[in-house]
Amino acid sequence: MKKKGSGPRQYTGVSATIFTIFLWAYAIFSLYPLLWMILYSFKDNTEIFQTNPFGLPQVWRFENYVNAWNQYDVPLYFKNSVIVGAGTVILTIICAMMFTFAVTRLQWKGRDAARTFISTGQFIPVQAILLPVVQTVAGLHLMDTYWSLILPYAAINLAFSCMVYYGFFKGIPKEMEEAACIDGASIWQTFFLIIMPLVGPATMTIAIYVFLSAWNEFLLANVLVGTTAHLKTLPLGVLFFQGQFTTDWGSMGATMVIASLPAIVVYCLFSEQVEGAMTTSGAVKG
Amino acid sequence: MKKYLSNRKAIIVFCLPAIILFCVFIFVPILQVFYYSFFDWDGVNQATFVGLANYKRLLLKDPVFKTANLNGFKFGVVITVYQLVLATIFAIAVSDKRIRFRKFFRTAYFIPVVLSVTVVCQLWGNVLNADNGLLNTLMSRLGINWSQNWLNDRNTAIYTVAFVNAWQWMGYQFALIVAGIKSIGEDFYEAAEIDGATSLKAHWYITLPLLKDTFNFCLLISVTGGIKAFSEIDIMTGGGPGNATYTLTYIMYNYAFGRQKFGYGLTSSAVLVIECLVIILALNWLFKDRENPLFSRRKGVEIV
Repeated sequence: MKKKGSGPRQYTGVSATIFTIFLWAYAIFSLYPLLWMILYSFKDNTEIFQTNPFGLPQVWRFENYVNAWNQYDVPLYFKNSVIVGAGTVILTIICAMMFTFAVTRLQWKGRDAARTFISTGQFIPVQAILLPVVQTVAGLHLMDTYWSLILPYAAINLAFSCMVYYGFFKGIPKEMEEAACIDGASIWQTFFLIIMPLVGPATMTIAIYVFLSAWNEFLLANVLVGTTAHLKTLPLGVLFFQGQFTTDWGSMGATMVIASLPAIVVYCLFSEQVEGAMTTSGAVKG
Repeated sequence: MKKYLSNRKAIIVFCLPAIILFCVFIFVPILQVFYYSFFDWDGVNQATFVGLANYKRLLLKDPVFKTANLNGFKFGVVITVYQLVLATIFAIAVSDKRIRFRKFFRTAYFIPVVLSVTVVCQLWGNVLNADNGLLNTLMSRLGINWSQNWLNDRNTAIYTVAFVNAWQWMGYQFALIVAGIKSIGEDFYEAAEIDGATSLKAHWYITLPLLKDTFNFCLLISVTGGIKAFSEIDIMTGGGPGNATYTLTYIMYNYAFGRQKFGYGLTSSAVLVIECLVIILALNWLFKDRENPLFSRRKGVEIV
């Protein structure tokens, strides 16, 4: 083992070695299914099931990706996921930012009650309200539109987003509005030109978190657009292959890689924000 | 200034979008769950008030209700034990500066969280497939005669789907605990080292008690996660074999979307909400600051 001068002392000994092996083993256990998926997205059925289930593909079949893209509606699913993801992020941020501004910076009776009211959303399981949400969406004649997903998704993410904003808005000094008021800015100008840029980091965190959750959402998508072919998102598209008589496993692997890659890239680029966002919800909820 | 900040028009305009969105898609639906649980309703025609009949039938006569609760319990136990134990060990490991490749471990453990549940279920479905799945293939190649019908066995199927959920979400609790450990000051450990405590002892007496709130939250997620379990079951077993992997959500799903019995389905949802609430309250009571030898260190520490 390398001596690192003044750096912290490394662990040595048998138990340390066993522990290190354990850490590596679980890391492999955590990553291998993913790696396996990527590998089999380049194989054909024979290789996947008979000749070579574990190793690198003997022939790299890039045509699986071409097939997935051309034959299996993957571009449509992708487009839907992007539209729903972006729409959800924008709507959630607009609603959450304005609301949190009103309950933290503006002065009115009942602002604490309003904040508590929205935060109860944290404790309502989506599973439980599945059916009434479907009924509501149908009642508002939103079925067959992107709004059927965007509006419920934004509602679900609202409580969490307001909570992340709350800390940020509380931290802005009061003098900000006072100075703006003296300079003759209207309350609207104060919000859009002064406050909004100040909470940028929170907006970023929320945007990433909300995008990922919308991108991966299955529960509501399944009951809201599960039978509407032209609105299916990628998580539903992945299931399309299930129940086909002769499944083209390679193309299915390719579809799964296409569905997962954006989320993995977002996580790798913004791991701090993703973990930060998730742990904020933990800190306050508990 | 006061007048500037109590601009009534601004307050209404800023609050309204969020309030409307929340009421229409969360608050009114949750009220509807409880309201319609007292009705016989097919979703289209006039609902008929039936009082507690749905509850009586679900709680007392429906044999699947017992299965569903038992499955929720099994599911909850599996994910709680798996996630909490591993997440704690890994979080302590990656927070220790003497362990190498910490950044890599962090990413590796967290990555399943950012995948879609459908991708994870398809992947594990392929691994666990009885006929040509990766796991059974591996067994037979290694000459081990231990092939299992992972997803089609009445007794083990629920544990298999619970494992898949546990595998995917371990990283979430891991991240929570890492964040919790970060908030504990280094000086605690330095003091412990001076006192001659081994690092195992230091973690047992410092880290775990100080992470009380984090553990409360982790338990809350995983225990209610068992009751709410649905996606993995819908994708991987469809409630089967038979009704061996039914959960409360699956009862709702089956009655509402499969049989048009909305009132009865929503009764199951209502029970689900109540069970979750009871668990939240019970955990908060259990973790409340009080004279508890395990947590007594807490008091003096909070100021730091």
